[in-house]
Amino acid sequence: MTMPMHEPRPPPRPNAQSTPKPQNKKQRFKFETALQNLTRRALTPISPVLAEKAALAAKGWGKTTDLFLKTWMGKVGTIIILIFLVIALYGTFVVPKYVYNPADGLLGPSWSHPFGTDHNGIDVLDRVMKGSLASLTIGFTAMAVSMILGAVVGLASGFWGGWRDEVIMRINDVFLSIPWLVLMIVIAAILNTQSIWAVILVIGLTGWSTTARIVRSQVLSLVSRQFVERAKAIGSGEWHIIRRHIFPNVVPLLFANAILTIAISILSESTLSFLGLGPQDVDTWGRILEDAYNQGSATIPSQNLFIIMPGLAIVIVVLGFTFIGYAMDEVMNPKLRKR
Amino acid sequence: MKRIFNAVITVLLIMLLNFMLFRVMPGDPAKLMTPHKPGVSDAVYWRNVEMMGLNDSWYEQIGNYYYQTFTLQWGISFKSEKPVVDEFSEAIGWTLLLLGTSTAITFAFGVWLGKIAAMRRGKTPDVTITGVGLFFYGMPVFWFSIVLLIIFVMYLHWFPVGQYIESGTAPFPLTLEKIKDIIWHMILPLTSLTVGSIAGVILIMRSSLIDVLTEDYIVTAYAKGLTEKQVLKRHASPNARLPIVTTFAMDTAFILGGAFQVEYVFSYQGIGWKTIDSIENQDYPMLQFIFLIGGIAVVIANLLADIVIYYLDPRVKIT
Repeated sequence: MTMPMHEPRPPPRPNAQSTPKPQNKKQRFKFETALQNLTRRALTPISPVLAEKAALAAKGWGKTTDLFLKTWMGKVGTIIILIFLVIALYGTFVVPKYVYNPADGLLGPSWSHPFGTDHNGIDVLDRVMKGSLASLTIGFTAMAVSMILGAVVGLASGFWGGWRDEVIMRINDVFLSIPWLVLMIVIAAILNTQSIWAVILVIGLTGWSTTARIVRSQVLSLVSRQFVERAKAIGSGEWHIIRRHIFPNVVPLLFANAILTIAISILSESTLSFLGLGPQDVDTWGRILEDAYNQGSATIPSQNLFIIMPGLAIVIVVLGFTFIGYAMDEVMNPKLRKR
Repeated sequence: MKRIFNAVITVLLIMLLNFMLFRVMPGDPAKLMTPHKPGVSDAVYWRNVEMMGLNDSWYEQIGNYYYQTFTLQWGISFKSEKPVVDEFSEAIGWTLLLLGTSTAITFAFGVWLGKIAAMRRGKTPDVTITGVGLFFYGMPVFWFSIVLLIIFVMYLHWFPVGQYIESGTAPFPLTLEKIKDIIWHMILPLTSLTVGSIAGVILIMRSSLIDVLTEDYIVTAYAKGLTEKQVLKRHASPNARLPIVTTFAMDTAFILGGAFQVEYVFSYQGIGWKTIDSIENQDYPMLQFIFLIGGIAVVIANLLADIVIYYLDPRVKIT
């Protein structure tokens, strides 16, 4: 022991992760205990061990969330996305249904129509607000499609390796090599996408290759770790190892990637729609842009807001997701953490 | 060697995908390949059926497709009824000019800005550069092009709109006047393309430099009494630059994607414009060819990046 004799041993600190800011500490304390209590109460009848585990997990999550919210990107991104979620809800439930009134079409900005009206006489602001839900839905679902595909493919090729890995990676190379936006447009053009689901599928199916790569390399590094070897040694089945040892360690990595994929999916949808290949059954930001462009709003000064505003909405939402994604990367990737 | 072998396989698979995309899709491929124009007789349709060998078995069809591709029979454009290669070579020069300039600017400035951001991590310059960079990164390229168009063409009348040269003039033979005109037409598309892709380079440079700066040998370098500038130049940058090379290769696909949005909005008649034009005219042979070349270009870019990395980094072994 190198501890000096004259100094009494310091009392154990109640919270090992004490922060200098008191009000911050208080907040976290509240949040964590609430979560722990909740999980404890929910799980106690089943098994105290499980409850303990869940409480620990909640604590871990609380810490991560805290670190995440401390980065400026995390803060700004979260605020942006929350605002847009509110806008989406407002647009869906409060904004009245569209009233077609071509006589009032293509008006300039005024107090009653801050961004002007479109060619059908619909308020552009209303359209942008209502469009939030459709655009966000496409972003999330397309992300889910490409995440699931990417995770399954990445797990399979990383875990089993050998010829399966070779085959999968060569196919993956193809998807990585092809200019994916062009691929998407060609598929959309040939399929003649009309419905929101077709568009989601097209975006999801072209966006899985990077995820698969990331998952695969993570799985490769996990498979040779001791805890996996140990699990194998005591006779765990392949599925058990994947489910209990590999997958949980891949998820954090997927998280940041998933958020960035939402951003890319929203962008992809807007590009597809802008070229007239988007969904025809819902009104997304991309479709508003397409309408505005076809009405020549870029060249008519009084209508410039018609084309600028939906684009701005896309930019801000994408920025929000990108911020969150990068902040998460910074928090979850210990190498990037500030020392 | 294995790398080259893989690249060849990738190209073959791209061709296979290209083959499937236009035939396995729902609908009659011969009909798809027949121009939707008045005055096109049934003969064209049956010629297509014959040419594509739709009556043959599937493996014969695939073999035939590869045979035609390798013997340079790439088909004839529906729209202009010229061989697709001629159409392609007309447009490729302009795209290369635009992309080449934009890529050079992007990498020069991106590396520089990324360095600043990494050195001042967490401080104002870093926050400004990454924040603004991400803002532009998240922009639909076509929308940014439209905004530029509104500001600089509609309101300020600084730049001409559309095409790579004043319409009605042939670009060749070149004169000083024409070169000036071409540059003039290129500025807006160039800005749009560069601004849209520079953030990627900045972020990669930033994170890889941050990574390198935490290494022990950097601490040693500082301990030796070197200044920040010397450490950056001699010790950190050479290693931090490596991922940039890989990014360049990965980005080619991305740049090609961005290029066609820009070209579309500015009616800059390069490959990207041609792609959209072909989609609108359902010019499938043209599309198929552009697709093939695009894929091959990215594969080659990846190979080149690996070779460059091999020369820059003695630790890397080519397998």
